[in-house]
Amino acid sequence: MKSIKRRVFLKVGATAAMAAAVVPVQAAEPVSTVVVVHGEDIPKMIAAGIAKMGGWEKFVKPGAKVALKPNLAWKSTPEQGGNTHPAIVREVVLAAEAAKAKQVLIPENTCQPEKETFPTSGILEALKGTKAKLYRPKRADYVEVDVPKGKICRKAKVSRDLIEADCLINMPVAKHHGGATLTISMKNWMGAVDNNTRRSWHRDGLHQCIADFSTYLKPHLVIVDATRIMLDHGPQGPGKLAHPHEIIFSTDPAAADAYAASLFNKTPQDVPHIKLAGELGVGCIDLAKIKIERVEV
Amino acid sequence: MATILRWVRRHGLRVVAVVVFALLALGLAPESWRAAGAAALPRLSPLLNLFGALAAREWVGWTIVLGVPLLVVPFFWGRVFCWRLCPMGFLAELAGKLNPWGKGWVQCVPALNEVFALFIVVTAAFGYPLFLWLDPLCIFNGFFVAWRAPLTVASASIGTMFVVVMALAVVVPNVWCHKLCPLGGLQQAVMEFARWLRRPKNTGAWNEGGPQVLTAASTSRRSFLGNVGISIGTSITLGGVGLALKGAKGGARALRPPSADVERINALCARCGNCMKACPYELIHPDLGETGFDGFLSPVIHFRSKIPNWDPDEDRYCFQDCVKCTQVCPTGALRPITVEQKHAMPIGRAEVLKDKCLAWAKGEYCAVCDEYCPYKAVKLEERNGVNCPIIDPDKCRGCGACEGACPGDPVAIIVRPLQGH
Repeated sequence: MKSIKRRVFLKVGATAAMAAAVVPVQAAEPVSTVVVVHGEDIPKMIAAGIAKMGGWEKFVKPGAKVALKPNLAWKSTPEQGGNTHPAIVREVVLAAEAAKAKQVLIPENTCQPEKETFPTSGILEALKGTKAKLYRPKRADYVEVDVPKGKICRKAKVSRDLIEADCLINMPVAKHHGGATLTISMKNWMGAVDNNTRRSWHRDGLHQCIADFSTYLKPHLVIVDATRIMLDHGPQGPGKLAHPHEIIFSTDPAAADAYAASLFNKTPQDVPHIKLAGELGVGCIDLAKIKIERVEV
Repeated sequence: MATILRWVRRHGLRVVAVVVFALLALGLAPESWRAAGAAALPRLSPLLNLFGALAAREWVGWTIVLGVPLLVVPFFWGRVFCWRLCPMGFLAELAGKLNPWGKGWVQCVPALNEVFALFIVVTAAFGYPLFLWLDPLCIFNGFFVAWRAPLTVASASIGTMFVVVMALAVVVPNVWCHKLCPLGGLQQAVMEFARWLRRPKNTGAWNEGGPQVLTAASTSRRSFLGNVGISIGTSITLGGVGLALKGAKGGARALRPPSADVERINALCARCGNCMKACPYELIHPDLGETGFDGFLSPVIHFRSKIPNWDPDEDRYCFQDCVKCTQVCPTGALRPITVEQKHAMPIGRAEVLKDKCLAWAKGEYCAVCDEYCPYKAVKLEERNGVNCPIIDPDKCRGCGACEGACPGDPVAIIVRPLQGH
């Protein structure tokens, strides 16, 4: 409520006490929902979060092709927080398989060589016993797409499996980022595109390109790993950690990012690509209009 | 039938040696012992393994014992290795068969093998061996190491000496084994030393077994001592030249593999190509002129700015936790180091080209160099809200992660050799 009051205060002025009582009620009609699960037991947290989101059957239909986009970019251990926690990925894969998904695909364009990042991140171990296919896309695995709503980024080469999936789940880790301020779900798409595309984003305007691309690639579900968050030296780390012990669920990537930014004591306006995504209509970034449902496990 | 059997008895082991060591050098062994396998053959040579280490003044590990047999065996059994096992010798001998007219020509060539051998030994003692790259096991190895995809003139150049030896073998059959090979020369010297010790009961049996038994130039004590004298004399002279060379250089700077003794690598390196083969990121290349004439084919590291048609899809840099190249060097030019040692050991230093840098020159949010740097050597300085990179010289290890990842076009961060490399 604090931020609402401040916003109204700035907008209408101190004298509009009556208006302040009325306007938020109309304006704060929630546009997006973010489910925040707090706890220590990852499998239970995932189960609780998905239950709140409406159950797996809402997202994964039998025979569906499911694509996951965790962040596995760096040679970083699960404790260091450079990558999405492997236990989260495992839970989602198991759930998708239980929901009779035909395939679970995990294409990830890593930053460091995948033969280093995949073992160290714990993902190889976590995927044992599942049929999920984890791979680093080769040149032929990318397709060029148009980004019609993009201001700068008008074309991009994206992993084919991500755009052809029946259910696309963006599952980033939230952490500090030297170039993008924070990296949460929208910035995580930089591992969905090929190297030439992501390099061009840095050249052409990083924040705008991230926002642009998010108008094109829309996940069916966002699961943000904020069990531990890297506060500095991101994205590679190791850096200083905080432990919010949260996993964040939403169907609105902008809203998920806007909420996750608050864990770093940043407003959505502090992170240019989140702000720009709000302007482009990727989703709701106004925390006053986001319904935050908290679940304790 | 009997002829075939005789041929097999005589050459069977040599065929096996050629096949086995070629496969090892090609890198076709299972992953777990590929590195050790690639280094196996060159390490059998005392010239590389023992005298290389002597020159390097480095303890290269217990693999050093692999170099001992070829010093001891000739004392009792002469050059049995040369005639029964050496894969290079076998191939050179076969190549000689292509020239049926030239059988006797080898007699006209002076025997330089012992001179070369003693030359290497003495210059190694000086710490600056000059002819290590004449070692036949290294030459054999280098040729097979060179075969990798994509094959380029530069990557294949490490096989140069092999081609030279084979060409010599065709022009003058048997000239390599009998007159030039320093490893043969070393064994010859040991053999002659043994013979000299046993002079009273000398039966002349020590040359037994050679395919074409040729009278070595130095069967008498006098000529043996003469050879030693000549070798030591020229070695001291040329060793001095080598040391002078080493001192005079300094202009020739290049990035070298981690743990390299950059001052002496041109001498210590035998050009076996193992480090080039071992590098999982294919960053080590035979030098074709960066480091002066004495650095020809020695290992240099090329990052993005020196790799033609560099592919942005590859993330190639000297990975912080990889020490593979240092484990396969037979001479001590690269010494085996641990990952922790590597983390403290710079191979070069990155330089930000501020006029090209997206952050410095154009005010773009970038900091990819900081993002990719495994050593946290990029400090960010805020300019108008944009983080601009500065290299911390104490932390930078010159791994090239930033150079490979830089989205700048042209690249705006380049790893330079450290002063004096």
